[in-house]
Parts: sequence; structure tokens; C-alpha cells
Amino acid sequence: MAGKSGRTIANTIDKPWKKVILSWEGVLVLLFIAINILCIAISPVYNATNLLRESPKYLAEMLLLFPMAYLLLLGEIDISVGSIVCLAATMACMASNAGVPFFGVVCIAIITGLACGAFNGFITIKFRELPTMIITLGTQIVFRGIAEIALGSGGSISLTDSSGFKLLNGKIGIFPYSFFLIIICAIVFTVIADRRNYGRKLYAIGSNAKTAFYSGIKVKQTILIAFIVIGVFAGLSGLFLTSTAYGANTTTGKNFEMDAIAMAVFGGVSNMGGKGKLYGAFVSAFTIMCLRIGLGQINVNSQVILIILGLLLICAVLLPNIAGMISAKKRTAK
Amino acid sequence: MKKKLLSGLLCAAMVGTLFVGCGSSADTGATEDAGASTESTDTASTDAEATTDSAAGGATGTYALVPKSAGNPFNEKEADGFTEAIEAMGGTAVVQYPESATADAQITVIESLISQGVDSICVAANDENALQSVLEEAMDAGIKVCSVDSSVNKDSRAVHCNQAGVDEIGLALIDAVYDISGGEGQFAILSATSQATNQNAWIDSMKSYMESDSKYANLELVEVAYGDDESQKSTDQTQALLQKYPDLKVICSPTTVGIAAAAKVLQDQGSSVKLTGLGLPSEMAAYIGDGDDFSCPYMFLWNPIDLGALGAYTSVALVNGEITGAEGDTFTCELGDYTVVSAADGGTEIILGAPFKFDPSNIDEWKEVY
Amino acid sequence: MENKSLLKKLTASREVSLLIVLVVLCALISIKTPTFLGWSNVSEILKNNSTTMIMALGMLLVLLIGGIDISIGSTLALSGMTIGILYKYNHMSSTFLGFLLATVIGIACGAIIGVIISYGKVSPIICTLGTMYVYRGFAYLVANDEWAGADALGTFKDFALKSFLGINSAVWITIICYVIFFIMMKWTKFGRNIYAVGSNEEAAEISGINVKLVKTLVYTIMGGLSGLTGAVMTCVYASAQPNMATGKEMDVIAACVIGGVSMTGGRGSVGGALIGALILSVISKALPLVGIDALAQNTVKGVIIIAVIILNVVTQRMMDKAALEKREM
Repeated sequence: MAGKSGRTIANTIDKPWKKVILSWEGVLVLLFIAINILCIAISPVYNATNLLRESPKYLAEMLLLFPMAYLLLLGEIDISVGSIVCLAATMACMASNAGVPFFGVVCIAIITGLACGAFNGFITIKFRELPTMIITLGTQIVFRGIAEIALGSGGSISLTDSSGFKLLNGKIGIFPYSFFLIIICAIVFTVIADRRNYGRKLYAIGSNAKTAFYSGIKVKQTILIAFIVIGVFAGLSGLFLTSTAYGANTTTGKNFEMDAIAMAVFGGVSNMGGKGKLYGAFVSAFTIMCLRIGLGQINVNSQVILIILGLLLICAVLLPNIAGMISAKKRTAK
Repeated sequence: MKKKLLSGLLCAAMVGTLFVGCGSSADTGATEDAGASTESTDTASTDAEATTDSAAGGATGTYALVPKSAGNPFNEKEADGFTEAIEAMGGTAVVQYPESATADAQITVIESLISQGVDSICVAANDENALQSVLEEAMDAGIKVCSVDSSVNKDSRAVHCNQAGVDEIGLALIDAVYDISGGEGQFAILSATSQATNQNAWIDSMKSYMESDSKYANLELVEVAYGDDESQKSTDQTQALLQKYPDLKVICSPTTVGIAAAAKVLQDQGSSVKLTGLGLPSEMAAYIGDGDDFSCPYMFLWNPIDLGALGAYTSVALVNGEITGAEGDTFTCELGDYTVVSAADGGTEIILGAPFKFDPSNIDEWKEVY
Repeated sequence: MENKSLLKKLTASREVSLLIVLVVLCALISIKTPTFLGWSNVSEILKNNSTTMIMALGMLLVLLIGGIDISIGSTLALSGMTIGILYKYNHMSSTFLGFLLATVIGIACGAIIGVIISYGKVSPIICTLGTMYVYRGFAYLVANDEWAGADALGTFKDFALKSFLGINSAVWITIICYVIFFIMMKWTKFGRNIYAVGSNEEAAEISGINVKLVKTLVYTIMGGLSGLTGAVMTCVYASAQPNMATGKEMDVIAACVIGGVSMTGGRGSVGGALIGALILSVISKALPLVGIDALAQNTVKGVIIIAVIILNVVTQRMMDKAALEKREM
């Protein structure tokens, strides 16, 4: 019943293709198609060109999705990523304006992210009693605070030379570079999670940290790596965000953590740890992106879009649970 | 079998929920944004017409306004002014608020407007520089771009519609401080966030007046505090100012949330410290008055409705080719004759007029308006 | 020997060690600003932070049952904004009715969350992440891009100016809430049920506690308190805005965790929540006072929060160690 997948809809299925369709990931694919049909129906300008043109900001967010999914699989959470994005973007801009060559700028952004992630991870493994939610709540304030100090009274910095960043913002045909990066990430992260040793450790720790520990898994090391990875990706996300805005300010990356968590959870990754598939998260991210872009194009009030997303998020978890309960009741009645 | 059927029904229900959700939201959108859904379907057709008969004088296309954030009456009045002016000229107005008061959220909205192929975008920027990339993209797509209220940098706009010259506001504020304090003593500034473009420009202007004119030599600016446009933080900051500087005479708050919070603190405490700055009459009516019972003798603002309208007329003039945004261009609209002048940042701007003074004699009349 | 027992006493209870943190903080600030502990200043701190303090009570219950609620800021905004608009358009003038209505709206919001979480088996953070967007969105729709300012609120705002026995009425609301909760958690069956559910849900279920009902009630109470706080906040600041209290939930959670409430459930007390909320209030009040640069205030606040929660863990470890030693003897 409770396999690796976060939410199983039917219990016993004899044919494999039915299993795929009736799994949560299968439903997501159907939902993705349905939403695209809906968007085409309601918006006359909803097409591939416009969709991909509007996508870079969402793609920068999606960079955080896979490492966030890893953390959720571990039963941890990181709500400081938005602030890390902000700090990394700020540092990158400052370095670039100080005349550091573009390769150096990239390194600085990534190292900033790595350092922040390592700090979160270090506190987490040193003080296992503390939930990561509260640790990263503290560092969320600190990291953005450091960016605020660095940015000074203007609170905003713009690139004097944006040529390097414009490269990042390039496109192959209508596809932005970050789109390919996301695809590569999706494949790499999924393969690691499903086929590699590290991935098995993730699921093992997420299901039961104590058992995992006693069966010889280096729990602390695994958690630290996950935090460092999300830090690095937050740094990358900061770079791509800078390339779309030619600068950084104190609100850069605000609420990215909640968006990333919502995408992962909507994709079936359980925040209680140990359950969920990364390709589910991948499909859900694109589903949410298409829905937001489509509704944005017909000028739906942005607050209403958030209401719809909120309801969708709750329904995505609630409806399968209700179905499960009803079928369980029927079984007992028999 | 039943289980499978159930699962199938479940999928259908999920998609159904979504459709219902979207359907109802489109309805609310329609009532609120003056027919948003019908607009967008018409966009494509009006677009084609707009390019052909744009020289005709009136407005036939779709003109977009991107305010700073939703849920703020100042921005709402600005949007009202914009919409009315555009519709009076026969065009279609699209007002799309970002989901939060950040540059990131505005980028998303502007991207969407580029997809819709609007004729012009008028934006009140949350960050001066962050919108450059997306606005350049818009200009490349043939969309006319101007900013209103809070400017974008000179490379990302044709022209900026300024509510009042930065120096005029700076001078009005420092003169108010001078007048209320009696020409000497300590005063403090309670601003919005540290990166608020407008507030920073006005404060810098006030400081430069204090340096350049010996008239203000006896005034001492003790601190610039930031209330982040949150009631609680502004209140805490105001109380901290009062405690830190017992000799404080005046607080100047050039932001609507800050001035209301400070006014409440001062009035509740019956403090001798007086307040001035920039605020909305409807929010400040209870605090403006003569004598010790009121904390604010007078304050300034401009008419947000007119400001929105100026943004609208400028958008139409840009689309019709009456102006290009170059210095010296002139155009005439319902509000009067306007000339494009050079701005401090090296770009060009159109100035609405001098800041308007709200005092006990006119506050009751204006609090009903905005 | 004397020394050791004193140290033991100090580390015996987490609340005491937190109280020491609070006292040290206040003492340090008083050196810099002697007026800090003056009555008027203390009264201001209590009044301005009554929102965090009241909501910390609800959050205490939610954390005790091992849940979390990050939608409280949105619930607050929805209820505060609703009554603000009603006052603005003169649909209502009674102050009492305002508080009542705001609380009822909060209760409704909380009950929905409670039912979804306990009967729908949705994990709390997901459910409240969703409702955070939904309730905030509704607050914006209710507001319809208007604020309810001092002029619009009429006599409602005067409530926060009145005092009784020298204590501000907003502070009285906080005090009453704390007294009720203290009694409830200490001496009623419901209070014990909450601890039971938080410590071991299955054991509680088997011993006859209606776990689902308890959970639903806890979220409902949380909602009710957020709603009440919406009215208090509107009243204290004489202003209702749809974006008010954005991010407040994090402050409240931080207050509870600083106060030693465990996020995994079962451990925490009303006193702890109170001290946690007070520490946060003192920090936010003192930062601009002691002359820390405006731009660095957030960083300092974050560092203090991290330091205090780490200190919590260290004291807990010391306590555990001491307890262990005792057993070995």
C-alpha cells in the first residue's frame, strides 16, 4: 500500500500500465495535459514560444526543487534557500562590479551558496534535537540580513557590465539554457535517488533515521551533503535570477522556499520523509508553471492565482486520502 | 473493479475542481478588472488595428499598468485614474498587480503582458534596475514603456511620469520641518524600506538642501529609521526615536504607512513632537489638526488619480507617436499641456505638478476623495 | 557543594534558564538605555507585542500535538481586514461585536484547517501552506484595495487607548488569555489530553482519547486566537491592511521554540511560550534603541534567535546528563 510513492491511489493493480496511470505521478501527467488544454482554451496567446519566454524565473525556482525534494525525503526542510539565493546574487553582483572575471563571479556565487548550505547542515548535525525548520528560520533572517548589510542603504545593486550574465540568459532556438539545465538536473537527481547508493540512504533515513543509523548508514554525513547540495543550487539559482534582472536587491528570491516546497509536495514528495518520486516533483513543477503562466495571460488577479494554487495543493493531498479512506471502509464493510 | 472506477472518478474530480476554480476566478477577474477575460480575447484583434490607425489621435489599443503592489489604496487610486483616462479615450486598460511588492513579481507580470502583445506598459517600479532586462525585451517587441510614480532606470523607459520633482518634494519636506520646528532643533526621518527608490531620493534631496542652504544650519537630522512599511515596525521605530532623542522636535515620514503609524504613536502619547511628511488624506484625517490634540499640523501628497491619468495620457501619446520621450517633446491632454524634461538620472521625465499641501482647512474635503 | 546545588537548581528547569536569558538581556539593554525598564516602556512592549504573545499560546497547543500552523498570519489578516471594512462602511459600530466577529472568523478558518488535517490526514505544513495562500488571497479580495484607517475605524480604535488599573486593555486581553490557558493546560482534562496526544498519539488513542477531535479543537483554538489577534492588531495600530502580519507566523513559531516548546510534540508549557514571546519582543524593541545600525538589525535578531535555541539544546543536554548521573548514583 505505502510503497515508495507518496500517494498511492489504488491498492492492487494487476497490469503495469494501469499501475503507472493510477499512481500519483500518472495522475499528475494527466493533470499536466488537462491544464495545458485548459490554458490553450482560455488564453489566445498561450503557445510554446510565449511559455518558454516567460519561463526563466520559474526555471530558476525549479533549480531548488530537486535538492529540496532530497531534504524532504530525509524528513528535513530548508526555508532559508530564498535568502541564500539573495545573498549569492548579491555577492555575484558585487564581485562582477569589482571587476572579477565572469568565471570568478560564478565561483563566488556557488561558494557563497555552498558556505550557507554547509552552515545550515553543520548546525543541523551538531544539534540533532533542533528541527531544521527552526534552524533555517533563524538563518533565513541572518542570510538575508547579511545581504541587506552588504547592499547598504540603497538596498539594490545593478550590474555595470552584464555581458557575462547575458550569456547565461541565452537561448537555443526558443529554449533558454536553464531549461536544459533543469532537464539534466531532473535526470541526474532522479537516477541518484532511484539507482544510486546515496538515494537509498535518503529513503532509508527518511523512513526511519534510527534504523538507518543502526544499519550502518552515515546519517549525519548524508544530511550534511543534502544541505550543501541545496546551498550550491541556491547559488546557481541566484546566478540565473541575476541574469534575468541584471542585478540584485533585498527582495531577490523572496518566497522561493515556499514555492519549491509546494512544487515538491504537489509532486507527491512527503515532507514527513521517505516517500515520493522525483519525476513526480518534476511534472508538478511544470504543471504549476503552466497554470500560473496561463492564468497570468488572461489577467486573473494575482491573489486569485494564489488562492487557486493553495486549494490545488490541499486537494492534491486531501482527495487521494479521502479516496483511500472510502475504499478502506468498503473493504471492512465486506 | 470498484476501486479502479473510484480512482478514475477521483482524477475527473480533481480536474473538474480545477476547471470550476478557474471558471469562478475568471469571473471575479472579470468583475474586478473591468472585463479582464473579454479584453484578453480581443487583444489579438485590437492589436492589429492599433498598429494601422494609431496615428488617428484617440486610443484604440490595449494599455497596461503594473502598480507596485495590490492592497494599497494609493496604487488603487492610481489604477483608477489610469483606467478612466484610457477608457475615456476609447482604449482598453489592463491593470495587473504583482502578487507581492517585489521586482521579481513585477517581472513575471510584465513577461505575461509581453505575451499578450499590449501596446504600452506603464510601470511603478519596486526596484529601479531589476526590471531593465524584461523592459528591454518589451521595447524590442515594439511595446512602448514608461514608468510612473517610482521610476525605472533611464535605459529601460521612454519617459518617466513624475508626481513632482524630487527637489520640489525635498524642499517642501525640509521647509515643513523648518517651519514646524521653529527653525532649529533635532528632527528624525521615518522612511519605508532601505531600498525604496523614491524615499531615498527625497531624503537625499533634503540632506543636500541642509548642506547647501545656511537657513537650515540649526536643524539637526539625528537618524533615518526604517519602518519597512509595516505598522508594527514603524510603531516600534517611532517609539525608539522618542526614547533615544528626548529633545526631538519633528519627525518627517515620507511614506504612507510610516506616517500613519507615527501619527498614532505621537497622538496617543500626547507627545510634543510633531509630524509631517507624505500621507494619504483618508488615512491621516484623524491626526491632522491645529493644537496639541493633533500630531500632524500638515503634510503633503499629490493626487494619485491624476498621476495614474498622466501615465495613461503619456502611454497613449507614446503609442500614437505624438512624443518619443525625447527632451523637449510636448503634448496636450485633459490635465493640461506637458513638456518632457530631462531627469536627474540622465533620462527624461514629465512632471505632474507641485506637491499638494493638506492642512486642517482642506483635509475633510480630501479624505473623501483618496 | 553549595555552588553545585545552585547550578543544579538553575538548570533544573528550562523556564528558569530562559528567564535568566531574559533578565540578562534586559539588564544589558538597561545599561545602554536606562529608561528601558520604565513602566511606560514595558507597557508599550506588552501592548505592541500582544499579537505575538496571544498567538504563541495557540501555537503552543499546535506544536504540543506535533503539528504546525503557518497560515496564522493570513487568518489574522482576513479577520482584521473583514471587521476593518465593516467599520469603514458603517455596517457595524460596536467594539465588542468587532472582537466577537473577528474571533468567529478565526474559529471558522481554524476549524477548516483542523478538519482537513485530522480527518483528511493531510500533513499540517502542507495544509497550512495551502490555507496561507487561500486566506491571504481572501483578505485581499475582502479589502478590495482599500485600507481601514484611523478615521474609518471610529470608536473601535479607542479600545486600545483605554486602561484598567493602569494596564492597557490590549494587555488585559493578553493576560486573560494567559490565565485561561494556564488553568486549562494545568488542571483540565482537555489540557492533559493535548499533552497525551503530543507525547504518543497511538497510546492516547488506545487509552480512549478522541485524538481527531482533540486535534481539530487545537487548530480551531489556534484559528480563534489568530482571529482575536486580528482585531487586537487592527485596534492597536488603528489600521487594517490586507498584507498585515505577513511572516508573523515565523515570529510566533520562533517565540515558542525559544520558549522551549518542542516542535516534535509533547513538550512545552504556557510559561515557556510567554518567556519566549517576551524575549522576542524585547529584542525587537531594543534593537533600534541600543543604536544598532538599521541595516544590521535583522542580522542581529537572527543571530540572537539561533543563539538562544542552541542554548536551549545545550541546557537540555546538561539536564539530561545530570539526570543520568543521579540515576547512576
